[in-house]
Amino acid sequence: MSVLTRAFSEVFSDQPYSASRNFLISGIFWLVLGTTLGLLAASLMTWPDMIRGIPQLSFGRVRPAHINMVTIGWLSMGYIGCFYYILPVLVGRKGVWNERLANITMVIWNLLVFFGVWSLLNGYTEAREYAELEAPFDIVALAGLILVGINGYMTVLSGPEKKWYVSVWYILGAMFWFPVVYIIGQRVFFAMEGLNDAIANWFYGHNILGMWFTVGGIGILYYLMPRFTGNPLYSHTLSMLGFWTIAMFYAPTGTHHILQSPVPEWLKAIAVISSVFLLVPVLTVLTNFFMTMKGKWSLAADHIPLRFALAAGVAYLLTCIQGPFQATRFINWYLHFSNWVVGHAHMALLATFSFIVFSATYYIIPKVTGRKIYSKRLAVWHFWLSLYGWIIMMLALTIAGLIQAAGWHFAIPYDQWVIEMHPYMIVRTLSGVMIVLGQILFMFNIYHTVFSKEFEPAPHSPTGIAFV
Amino acid sequence: MDQRLNYLIAGMFVLLTFITIIFVTTLLPAWTFKPEASAEAVVYTALETEGRNIYRREGCFYCHSQFVRYQDPEMGEMVKAGDYVHETPHVLGTERTGPDLSNVGGKYPSAWHWAHHIKPRAVKPGSIMPSYSYLTEHEMTALVAYLQTLGKNRKLPQWIVPPQEYRDRFAVISEKVNVKASAIANAGRGIYMQNCAQCHGVAGRGNGPVSMSMMKKPANFTRPYYAKYRDDMWFWRVAEGVPGSRMPRWDRSLSDEDMLYLVAYLRTLPRTDNPKVNDIEVSEMSQLDDPNVLDHNFWQIESLNPTNHGGGDMESRYAYGGGRGD
Ligand code: HEC
Ligand code: HEC
Ligand code: HEM
Repeated sequence: MSVLTRAFSEVFSDQPYSASRNFLISGIFWLVLGTTLGLLAASLMTWPDMIRGIPQLSFGRVRPAHINMVTIGWLSMGYIGCFYYILPVLVGRKGVWNERLANITMVIWNLLVFFGVWSLLNGYTEAREYAELEAPFDIVALAGLILVGINGYMTVLSGPEKKWYVSVWYILGAMFWFPVVYIIGQRVFFAMEGLNDAIANWFYGHNILGMWFTVGGIGILYYLMPRFTGNPLYSHTLSMLGFWTIAMFYAPTGTHHILQSPVPEWLKAIAVISSVFLLVPVLTVLTNFFMTMKGKWSLAADHIPLRFALAAGVAYLLTCIQGPFQATRFINWYLHFSNWVVGHAHMALLATFSFIVFSATYYIIPKVTGRKIYSKRLAVWHFWLSLYGWIIMMLALTIAGLIQAAGWHFAIPYDQWVIEMHPYMIVRTLSGVMIVLGQILFMFNIYHTVFSKEFEPAPHSPTGIAFV
Repeated sequence: MDQRLNYLIAGMFVLLTFITIIFVTTLLPAWTFKPEASAEAVVYTALETEGRNIYRREGCFYCHSQFVRYQDPEMGEMVKAGDYVHETPHVLGTERTGPDLSNVGGKYPSAWHWAHHIKPRAVKPGSIMPSYSYLTEHEMTALVAYLQTLGKNRKLPQWIVPPQEYRDRFAVISEKVNVKASAIANAGRGIYMQNCAQCHGVAGRGNGPVSMSMMKKPANFTRPYYAKYRDDMWFWRVAEGVPGSRMPRWDRSLSDEDMLYLVAYLRTLPRTDNPKVNDIEVSEMSQLDDPNVLDHNFWQIESLNPTNHGGGDMESRYAYGGGRGD
């Protein structure tokens, strides 16, 4: 068989779990490109004249390309990859309902990411933060999401297991909510005027995080933690309470992104109150998370996927303490408009949700390919580079944000405080180098595992400790 | 079967709550929240709309917000909901890497914008705004036309004013000390020499010996820029210090009276020093390779030849140093 036909049959395969694997490895590809774009944006904020005269590489275009590549490309594909492994396993099936359909969705989604980001770089944009893709892409994305959803739901309905573990709930919830959020927030079907457009925009901007990344990520985490530790989940009641309250409190929080703009006061009030109430689902998740770890903390020394999950759990805790804090009016009054917020965004999407997918990838790839991860050393390097890269980035952005906020608040002339931020911007760029490097190692490690002719078969290991 | 029914009911419940919440917080406002167009709402011409689209295309809104809050008095009048009725899609922005642009229209002559877009660091040393030298002549005209409409009808304050709290405080305490008297200024000079000269220099040029070790240099009070400071502004700056720099909060260690003496002295300093851009950021300048746009003295930006850039209305309401970014 020629390489081409082999590739073709792999891509449109109907082997059980091939879609899970294909989604994960495509996601990782976009991860490397997406973080590289982030690094480029960071460098442009540090050395603005580094690149001049190339429209495609000016900051205002690289930034949305970065965001869409990491959210739509990396995280979403990584999530779907995980879902397509976790759902069948939990309902006792082998593979999803229609593996070929899943693989076709994967191809569509890859084309969407490629052409979507290409169009953003070339200036075709709706120019609404987080919802930049133009209408044709929106329609493709929506079609993709509906296909993903159909496959997910049919998998669960056609599985023999009828008592659904919490992860199934979370994942099905995410698969249902995201298309709904997408239709409303991406404004595919009708236009709104002025500030109402901003309200819809931030409904999307926040709920792609809340109803998709959070709900999906927690679903994955709830699956992984009992597996990794061998402990049963601490409390099902708590996890269900978390599930309902997320649905209640996440949807209206979007307005906290435009808390000081002249939108109606009652909307802002609802947004602030529900932002604070989000502590409820967060605490249920974290209680469950840390109690499931009970007695098993020492595992983290050797268990690389667990280590990623733990880091994610801690980052989630920090994010969700920071979030309600900065959503209150007094704090938002000062911190809004600054790099602090960008730091927060990376804590959520990089340190929490990306780490969850890293963790899941190291566990799922051996499961679906039957191959042991190629190199433990690389995985350990990936962990430390990503973790330290993120910590350094977070500190740099937070400090820079505080300087920036002070600069605006005390009416200090711009050219006087911007030089104060420069060192932190350099540090942020260096942290980006670390992170990108980590992801390249990750990609190499996983690709070598999946594609190499020589491999070690994955050992039998219920907790996954021997996979890496 | 029973189990399934439970799931179904539960599922319907989630669905219903979720839909209700979305409806109330996202779609309902589209019906109920319909502000009347205010006097400030701009109806854009075809050219300005084109400019606005370029603004969106180039992602200017990732760095520039377009709403002035009540805590930003120096950025101009606060915005109202009615200002935005023609702003579809919105460009509110969430980050202020650069200043708010709600009121930038009329703040600078168009030629300034041309120069600033082509070589931001020539007009604003240290700026991290990208260079838009790749825009075509027509695109630039449209973009600048759009920028000049922003806040067209709102007023920009004549000069930065201190927060209300300080205005009030100054009004009260300055009744006891006449900051305009030269004897008071002389007394202030003494306090200045003891507390400030090591950083701000004996002549107030920001070049005291301690300044050598500082990255952010102390303010040079002899820049013409400071001619515009009001007395209560001086008072505020001295009392609050400059967060993020080595400038202390003198409120903590000096009495109100001492600070007024200082104000009296600071207001008498000559404003004659005219620094060249080159003195401020030499390194940045070397990157500017296109000599035909600017001479490098941004205090004399009037020397730009507007005819090179498709014209510019020089009837700016404020002098170029009129903004915080001076
Ligand atoms: C990387 C972030 C960034 C982007 C993108 C950006 N700017 Fe700026 N802009 C700044 C910074 C920083 C300043 C303040 C320093 C200066 O004046 O250059 C600024 C200043 C300005 C000013 C002067 C404001 C004042 O009150 O002094 C205008 C006007 C402006 N920008 C317009 C634009 C336009 C139009 C675009 C898009 C074509 C744009 N900016 C894109 C960062 C950015
Ligand atoms: C440790 C060094 C230091 C000392 C001592 C010091 N300053 Fe400053 N001062 C600075 C720095 C640094 C700045 C920041 C300039 C900037 O970037 O805005 C500054 C800024 C200021 C400003 C604000 C200028 C503006 O742009 O609004 C005023 C007013 C001022 N100083 C007055 C004083 C007075 C009066 C004293 C003595 C009572 C004093 N300073 C003592 C370092 C010092
Ligand atoms: C998987 C990893 C990553 C994810 C999920 C991610 C996500 C995001 C998100 C959501 C934003 C928007 C923040 C906002 O709301 O303002 C953002 C902005 C940004 N990110 Fe990332 N990011 C990742 C990695 C990186 C890396 C490695 C870098 C390199 C240093 C980077 C640099 C940037 C920059 C420069 C911005 C623009 C900030 C601004 O406008 O001031 N990102 N990213």
